[in-house]
Amino acid sequence: MNNGHTHVLLIEDNPCDADLVRLRLVEGDSAVDLNCVTRLSDGLASMARESPSLVLLDLNLPDSRGADTFRKVLEKAPGVPVVILTGQDDEVLAMKALHQGVQDYLVKGDITSSDLERAMRYAIERQALIRSLEMSRQQQLEFKNQFLSHVSHELRTPLTCIHQFVTILMDGLAGDINPEQRDHLETVLNSVHQLRAMIRDLLEATRAESGKIRIEPRCITIDDLIQQAVSMMAAAAKEKHVGLEVGLDTRIPFVYADPDRVLQVLINLIDNGIKFTPPEGSVMVKACMVEADPNMVYLSVADTGCGIGPEAKALIFERLYQGPNAVDNNRAGLGLGLFIAKELVELHGGRIWVASDIGNGSTFSFTLPLYSLAKFLFPVITYEGRLRDAIVLIKVELTPVSIPPRTNWKDVCQRSLDTLRRCVYLDKDLVLPVRGNTGTSETFFVAASTDLDRVEVMMKRIRGQLEAGAGFKAAGVLKVSATDVPLPSTEDGKPLEELVQAVADRFTETVVLALASNPAESADGHTRAVRN
Amino acid sequence: MDNPKILIVDDDPNLRRALKIRLRANHYDTVQASDGYSAISVAQKEQPNLIILDLGLPAGDGFVVLERLRDSDTLSNIPVIVLTARDPQSNEHRTLQAGATAFFQKPADNSELLDVIRATLPVTWSGTALPS
Repeated sequence: MNNGHTHVLLIEDNPCDADLVRLRLVEGDSAVDLNCVTRLSDGLASMARESPSLVLLDLNLPDSRGADTFRKVLEKAPGVPVVILTGQDDEVLAMKALHQGVQDYLVKGDITSSDLERAMRYAIERQALIRSLEMSRQQQLEFKNQFLSHVSHELRTPLTCIHQFVTILMDGLAGDINPEQRDHLETVLNSVHQLRAMIRDLLEATRAESGKIRIEPRCITIDDLIQQAVSMMAAAAKEKHVGLEVGLDTRIPFVYADPDRVLQVLINLIDNGIKFTPPEGSVMVKACMVEADPNMVYLSVADTGCGIGPEAKALIFERLYQGPNAVDNNRAGLGLGLFIAKELVELHGGRIWVASDIGNGSTFSFTLPLYSLAKFLFPVITYEGRLRDAIVLIKVELTPVSIPPRTNWKDVCQRSLDTLRRCVYLDKDLVLPVRGNTGTSETFFVAASTDLDRVEVMMKRIRGQLEAGAGFKAAGVLKVSATDVPLPSTEDGKPLEELVQAVADRFTETVVLALASNPAESADGHTRAVRN
Repeated sequence: MDNPKILIVDDDPNLRRALKIRLRANHYDTVQASDGYSAISVAQKEQPNLIILDLGLPAGDGFVVLERLRDSDTLSNIPVIVLTARDPQSNEHRTLQAGATAFFQKPADNSELLDVIRATLPVTWSGTALPS
């Protein structure tokens, strides 16, 4: 309903103040529809029904006071301009409100009709401007995404051709080649690999910028990942005569992170380390726990290279930053690697930083969250401040029909996991974070707030949904079983956190036992196969 | 026994030529098509053992080809490996869902591609002596 009128929602509990605003509005020239409510909850409900052109907001209402009041309104309707009505000595609060997105403030008692009219008009205009700026920013980002995606596609086609014919020559498929020719072709192939990596980074950075990177955290052992990264980079280090060492703290618990993405970050940092370290230097990869921050693991990659000056340190994680003094100029990239690394680490809830002095090498460090089953379980296995009555652990095993599995196996597992997450009730069941890297067999666990008798229905549903998934039956075999989890006694008044931790420990025990037994021949004494 | 026959569908003639050389050296016979429409007719005529399929094609893109193959009585069992310059993030899942066996982004690693071809070919071919 747009009749050219400005629809004003006035949220004000004092009838005198409300009348005054009404009077000032009537005195003014603008055509205004006024809707007046006295409680914040009524105001929010009204905004949900129909978005007003503007909200006039008193901050002290029966159901909300002070800064909370405007925060709730801004959160509910971020696109609607808000003008607050404040008391005589609320200047500080008013400034705070402006910083947080309120368009203007009017001091009660001093309001004239022209003040009010001007404040409203400007608030609406400014809000519209902000909206159109945001839209054009989004459009630009979208355009850039499409453009880069197109460019990368177009670049890959001739690159593929170069790659194919160079490897055909190198493999002798077009006749013998002499060692010098082989050497030249190897140089071409290296350049092809560099170009391919650059195209990949370009797309990845754009995705990071528009928030399109998805991570799939799992419960992982960080040692394995570091070993994997180091073995992947060993050849490059050896070629440059740079030592590559590992220092691991064996007491590190499980980490909750996406293994592919962490590997990507590690490889990027190690690659940089090798790149900026002269021959006979070394790169050291470490993981450790820090007492002051017990919920995170600290990883670092330290080199004995040229180091980074203070100005560069401030910029190094920015997009397109180029180090001025790469030891090996041939290997300069686009300057996106560290930007991508930072985005990936932050997506995991960690942080990344660098410590360095010119001439004394650099140490890049980042943190990743530790895996805490209790933290995940808490919201689903507690109810009204106590443990639920019964909790069951469901085990879902996916085994490929052939070894090695079909090439879409990883995708089948991922899709099954997505389906499984849709099969459960979000508020009382939890698909536990998956352990380890994607292997041949996958085992998922569900914590379900139900008892062994009732769980059968749920298991049937899980089985039905997973087997109906595209390509599942051709690729894998499914086995679903459930086991009862004995709950700790609640009589001695232990705090809820401790009880949840006790359940989490039992879960971990059961899961470790279940995974230790060969999944292909499990069904041991701890589990009970589904009856159907 | 004859060599396994692979249909290469790609609009870039240079890439078709390169793949032909590579596959020939690994004892595969090849036939070719340069667009979505001829992909289906060549497949019907030649009955290949496997198809390597690009996604960006004139006259019916790779997804249309996948759909036609799946709907056909005579072609629905032929395994398809997608080899495309397109981005895996938005295409891999979709192609596998559409019935492809594997997804490779160009430029793909030759030995990985050959491994998957070997693993994907119907069992009858696994007994033939194929040099690595």
